[in-house]
Amino acid sequence: MNLIALVVALPLLGAFLLPVGARSVGWVGRLLGPALLLLTSLVVIVLWRDSGGVPSHIELGGFQPPLGITFYLDQLALVFALATSLLALLLWPHAAWRDARVAALMLLMVSAASGMALSGDLFNLYVFYELVSVASFGLVAAPKTGAALAATLRYVIISGMGTVMALTGIALIYTQTGTLNLAHLTLLSATTLDNTLGLTAFVLILLGIGVKAELFPVNIWVPEVYATASQRVSALLAGLISKLAIIVIIRLLVLLFPQPEALTLLLVIGALGVLLGELAAWHAKDFERMLAFSSIGQLGLVLMAFSIPGQAGLFAGLAVAMHHLIVKPALFVLAERWSGGFAGLAGAGWKSPWAAGLFILFALSLIGVPPLPGFWAKLMTLLGLLGQDNWIYWTGAGIILLATVFEANYLFRFGLGLFKAGSESRSAKVPVHDAGSLGPSLILGAVLLIATVMITPVGNWLAGVADQLADRELYVTTVLGAGRELP
Amino acid sequence: MRNLTSPLFAAGLAFFLLVVVAEFEPGAAPMVVGQAILQEAPETTGTANIVTAVVLGYRGIDTLGEIAILFTASLVAGLVLERRGGKRQAQAPAGNVLRISTQLLFPLMLVIGFYIILHGHLTPGGGFQGGVILAAAFFLPLLARPGIQVRHFGLAVTEGLAGSAFIVIGLIALFQGGAFLQPLFGTGSPGQLLSAGSLPILYLVLGLKVGAELAGLLAHLVYEGSET
Repeated sequence: MNLIALVVALPLLGAFLLPVGARSVGWVGRLLGPALLLLTSLVVIVLWRDSGGVPSHIELGGFQPPLGITFYLDQLALVFALATSLLALLLWPHAAWRDARVAALMLLMVSAASGMALSGDLFNLYVFYELVSVASFGLVAAPKTGAALAATLRYVIISGMGTVMALTGIALIYTQTGTLNLAHLTLLSATTLDNTLGLTAFVLILLGIGVKAELFPVNIWVPEVYATASQRVSALLAGLISKLAIIVIIRLLVLLFPQPEALTLLLVIGALGVLLGELAAWHAKDFERMLAFSSIGQLGLVLMAFSIPGQAGLFAGLAVAMHHLIVKPALFVLAERWSGGFAGLAGAGWKSPWAAGLFILFALSLIGVPPLPGFWAKLMTLLGLLGQDNWIYWTGAGIILLATVFEANYLFRFGLGLFKAGSESRSAKVPVHDAGSLGPSLILGAVLLIATVMITPVGNWLAGVADQLADRELYVTTVLGAGRELP
Repeated sequence: MRNLTSPLFAAGLAFFLLVVVAEFEPGAAPMVVGQAILQEAPETTGTANIVTAVVLGYRGIDTLGEIAILFTASLVAGLVLERRGGKRQAQAPAGNVLRISTQLLFPLMLVIGFYIILHGHLTPGGGFQGGVILAAAFFLPLLARPGIQVRHFGLAVTEGLAGSAFIVIGLIALFQGGAFLQPLFGTGSPGQLLSAGSLPILYLVLGLKVGAELAGLLAHLVYEGSET
């Protein structure tokens, strides 16, 4: 009996019961969500320990693939399922949101996000993606200010367009292959998808799902939404949901689309994201927008890393993605108290030295200062790009270096502003960080420091994860079994 | 920046759609999995209506996801449209003809709705279709008598419990040693009212959930829309 389905089922069950349950029994609304997330984290950890790193699959409803839907449990899927539960638990809005409906939306998003990490079926991925989208609409609109509703409206329209594009791409693939199971599609892809139509389907899916991954050019919703939504929601969207969207895209790329043009496209879109994101962040006038634009830049970097052919690219891409998964939520949590324009934050570091110290730690890692993990991730990406015998890749490496200069400049400018001398009196109005608002950042900072110390084992483990991700044979034999007759 | 991206994006999209039109061969789609399901579904699931076998059996988790999306949409609509105090404007009541005919229609629509839901595994129809008819049945009185209060709590209880029942049935299968959402109670003989194991039960709770959700959603829209 494989319990991984609980990771999707339990948060959904909680979400269905919460709006009613919280009205009848007060503590249900506060405790049910965190309790369920703890339980799902435990389920993933136990499964992971028992699997010993070997991929497996489950058949939902008991129907054999490719007829039924499967979940594929390799290390990548498990680590993201675990990260989903743990990050949601860490960023759970205990005090701020008394409304049980918002807690229910969080649970719905967690359930669907875990589903995106696990699912091995093209249409099932789309269903979970759509559920993530709709739940995130509610979460970003929850403050119900005029600005938040206006930002949400734009987000809804762009997301809606994205889901239509992704669905068109999926439909195209289905008309060419007659199946939706990823393992089955992998077998058929060489004969049916290695053509213009297959590439078109990939582009449609890339831009469709890329809305959540903040890819150029479907990312114009990002700054306004992150600036107006609750910071914890922004943290989840920028840190977790964007990575899941990327992971889905990369999984499809590895399994279904072997065309070299697809990689070049990733490189170009990623480079534009890096350049425009970091330049816009350099111009930003308040903390949240700066983080939002920086997040666009970082996701562009993730995409550029994944555009390097072969296992090296997957390794570098995973490294950059996991690094950003830890750093960006921590920074958004700091913005809870440091919301708003730079001018109002002058000298705020004197009052909250811990928060300022954490900001500097994360900023250094983002820029890529050794020996922090961000340095190794960026170095691997640069070396990978320069190792290709192709001028486009070299240009990409140049763009990363140029963007890093801007990145360092605006992060240092903000960091120095926090410690501006003689501005203590003006900073009297700036709220001081307390344990509650620092907690999540402190924990994530500790994770970052542990990764710094243990960089060799972490790197080796990540290389193993990348190996599994790159192994198409393994995926097919795990899900379909060897030598079974297929329809 | 923004002014430049939109036309570029639109042009790119148009290009890709043109590629699809140029390359695509209509009518030549292979029915790989579809054909296999058509062949084995009546035997494995016991449904006379193959669509139901796909919706609740082969792709049951998709259906669970879809009702979760509907639930989320209704939750978000409630959250965003919630009134911040103030009373709804009084509307003139509808005429006798409208009121009496909605009263006559109400039980009929309930019967049709439940019939379609309960025969979902036998004939075209099922939880989604029947649920919409149930929602319409509860929505008609709202249109005819604008003054009556909607019992949102009752709707919320219905949709919460129905959705939970769907998942609990799936979990029972899991803890009995099967897979999550595996059909229970055998298949019976296809074509009988009592056949297809637990699938009709799933369709019943799905129908109730869809009905309660749509009714709640429509009630929100009517009440909030008429506010200003």
